[in-house]
Order: sequence, then C-alpha cells, then structure tokens
Amino acid sequence: MTRRISFSFNGKPFSGEEGQSIAAALLNSGVTELRKTRFEGEPRTIFCGIGICFDCVVTVNNVANQRSCLIEISEGAEIVSQQ
Amino acid sequence: MIVIVGAGPAGLAAAKAIARHGVSCTVIDAASKPGGQYWRFRDLVQGYKSQRAYGYFDELRSNPKITYINAAQVWSATRTNDLVTLNYLQAGIEKSLKCQTLILTTGAYDRSIPFPGWEKPGSMTPGAAQALLKGHGVVVGKKIAISGTGPFLLPVAVGLAEAGAEVVGVFEAHSPLRWLRSPIALAFNPEKFFELLYYAKKIKKLSIPMKFGKVVTEFSGSTAFVSRVNSELSIKRSSDEIQCDVVASGWGFVPDLSLGGILGCKEIVSVDGTVIFSVDRNQQSTVGNIFIAGEATGIGGSDLALIEGEIAGLASINKRIPFTLRFHRARKQLFARALIRSYPVGNGWQKWLDAKTLICRCEEVSCSQVLSSVVELKAEDSRTSKLFTRAGMGLCQGRVCSRNVSEIIAGAKGVPVADTERISYSNRPLAAPISLGSLADGIGEK
Repeated sequence: MTRRISFSFNGKPFSGEEGQSIAAALLNSGVTELRKTRFEGEPRTIFCGIGICFDCVVTVNNVANQRSCLIEISEGAEIVSQQ
Repeated sequence: MIVIVGAGPAGLAAAKAIARHGVSCTVIDAASKPGGQYWRFRDLVQGYKSQRAYGYFDELRSNPKITYINAAQVWSATRTNDLVTLNYLQAGIEKSLKCQTLILTTGAYDRSIPFPGWEKPGSMTPGAAQALLKGHGVVVGKKIAISGTGPFLLPVAVGLAEAGAEVVGVFEAHSPLRWLRSPIALAFNPEKFFELLYYAKKIKKLSIPMKFGKVVTEFSGSTAFVSRVNSELSIKRSSDEIQCDVVASGWGFVPDLSLGGILGCKEIVSVDGTVIFSVDRNQQSTVGNIFIAGEATGIGGSDLALIEGEIAGLASINKRIPFTLRFHRARKQLFARALIRSYPVGNGWQKWLDAKTLICRCEEVSCSQVLSSVVELKAEDSRTSKLFTRAGMGLCQGRVCSRNVSEIIAGAKGVPVADTERISYSNRPLAAPISLGSLADGIGEK
C-alpha cells in the first residue's frame, strides 16, 4: 500500500499517493481548475502532462510558476492557484 | 567522461552499450524515474513488449559503470575546447557537469494543433492522458474521446479503457489503407504488423469505437464535435456530437532540440516540416564530440531509438558498429518514413479555427490577432507576428504554438514556411526556464 500524502490547495485539505504529481493528485480528487488565465480569466488545468506547456503552473510553498505536472506532492505542501 | 542526457529508450541503450565495454558513463535525466516518456510504469498498466524496459532499468541501477543523476533538469550547455559543460538544477540547487563526450537523447513531445475549445479544461494531449495513467495511476476522465493521427492514439485508448474509462471513440484522421503506399517498409518491419494487430484485437475486445477519416474539430467542455475530414484535414462535413469530459488530441510529435541547438548542432527540416538534428551514420552530430539518438534525429518510435542509442554509445567509445545494428536502423528508418506518409498533418486544420480560437495558450493570442498582424501590420514571418502579438513568447517559449503560428501565417500569405523559419522557431536560448537568481548564479560560475 502506498503512503498517503496530505497537502493543501487554495487552503483546502487534499491528499494523494506518494510519488504522484500535484496535478495528478488534484485531478484525481476532482479538481478541474488549477488556475485562471491572466487576461481572460479562463480556467486552465493540465494540458501536456510532461512539463512542456506550462498551463498547469501553480505556486508551491510560495515559489511561483511551478509545473504541477512535474512536481511530486509532499507532506504539508501549500499549493495556491496563480494567474 | 561521457554524459548521456535523457533516460528514455535511446539514452538507456547508449548507457548499456558503453558500460558493457567497461567504460564509465553518466546518465542525467529530468524525471525522477527512468524510462522517459515512453517507458512509464505503475502497477499493472503495461503496453506492447513493455517488459523490455526492465532489463535497461536493472542495468541503470546495478551496473557500477553507470552513474545515474535523476530529477535533474539541464537548462543550458556550453562548449569550449571540446569540453562540454552542462548546467542543471536538482531540487532547486544549481549544479554543473563537464564531459568530453556528450550523447543527447532528449526525446519528443506531442504536437498539438488548435481547434475551438482546445484551451478548455478537459482538452489535453494523448501524452498527458498517458502520463497521468501510467506515471501517476490517474484516469483523466469518465468519457474520453481520443482524436488526431498516428499509431500512438491506440495504446492511449487501450490503456484508458483497461483502467475503467469509457473511451467514446478513437478518431483517426487517416485511413489505414494509406499503409499500402509503403509496402517495402511493411515488408521489412513485420513485427510492426503484429503490434498493430495486438492493439486492434484489444480495441475490439474493449468495444472501443474506432473511426477513420473523422476527428474532433471543436470541444465545448462537455461535447466533442466530430467532423469528417479529407486527407488534407479539410472538413468535408460535420458528423457527430459526442458527450465526453475529455478530448485527448494529438498530431504526431515534436522533437525537443533545445540543448543541441544551444550547442550549435546542425538542424535540418524533414519532409513533413519537423525539425530534426543532422547526424552521420555513427549518430554523430555536426559538432565533433556530440552524438544524438532517438526522436531528436527523426520521429521513429522506441525501436529505432533503442538502436540509435546503442549505435551512439558504441561510436562514442570508438567501437565497431555491427552490421546487424546498421541494418536494423535502416529497416526502422524505412518504417519511420512510412509513418510520415501514413499520418500526414495537412493544412486543412487552419479552417477549423474561428476568430476567437486561441493559437498561443500562454499569452492568449487569438487566431484573428495573428491574422491581423499579417494583414494590417504587414508581418512577413512568424517572428514579426510574435513581436506584434506576443504569440509564442509566453512561459512555454513557443513549444506548443510556434509551428502553428508559422503555418497559419504562411497559409494566410499563400506561401510555404521557409526552412530557416522552421529551424529558427525550434530553438530557444534556454533548454528549460529557470529563475533569474539561478541564471545569475550559473553565469557567475564561469
């Protein structure tokens, strides 16, 4: 059994399996919007899944522009939507 | 010292070939697990002949001649007096590595072409659906439409259906009869026929609707609009409206050329407009001690990548390349050319777009903005258009849209895209975006 990892997204508690990316864990929890675009305010989520497109960027522990499809979830991580 | 960038099939084959001759090498890779984009495994999700991968993984882990640096993103490289310096970030820490011989196996990513609604959540590349499933054990949606062209759509559809998703259809733009145009390639690659058969049987068993000559040309977020298209991808008529929460649309692959481009390796444009590296029969680039193998020298799949990787590895330590390896590479290259013939991406997609369709996802630049930069502002090429509109100047550095922007502009002007423009849009000053602080630190070291 893989270990569960707890983290927060926009202040709400979430969890995922150890080794999962942030985007994967959030998608698996039913989150279909990771951020809003800065001009049109349109919702965006994972698109390329392998770190090419930057559509899934989030702020992780106060570091902005992190590709959530590449970064694994870590215990207690504070993940926040950005534009 | 020999460094291999990339731990996909080509990189792993190169490392194994080098280590087998008792020579040490280092494999550096951006992912935390080996296998690249193609060999991702988790639990019981498997693909055709995927057991091959484990031999290479074992070699990487247990052979004392191979040093494996994972989760390390190489973002720049310099070359002075035949010595290559690679700058990389690992867990936020800036490091560097020097080598006399470099083998680049940087792979490829899905090619996307835009359509109304492709920016909506639920629209993604087949590679994303595959990576989430095989790498993270997550099924991307409940009802999934797979669309585009190329054999990669099949394993994605099968994997998702086996994991419990309802695949509402595989919409392949081209007829399988196109393969009849490549009888020699098929005759020399009978195993590819069995691979196709393997997936065809699975698709039948899983009751996945397989539609040829149709693709998704619009997505509302909950409905995919399917059109019948001709071989140029022009819409002949609208066909079906299908309820689904995910559309995975992919149009072949784009090689990642960033690092080799920075190091000055010569790039060429292949017949379908894909920019690749020019290499000789030993997989050697035009820059002396740099070898390149795998998708970056032409999209050909994992079989070709394994052979090219082995040849690059052997050549890098001046070992003789067995005739059989050269023969198998030639055979697989025939197949790679047949792939281009069988799954072309014509320009008809440009007519799917409406004025508001986003072309550049990062900077939210619409089709009408790109076109007006040509018509009203007299942009002659994509570079000028980008300066006017910012298309391709966002965080992804044009990796997703730059080819499309060039082709839209060329289409509007009624001219083909020049090779120089194709090569220019395939290169970028940094192989991966990094913070200014890291950039300053990296420069400070030199």
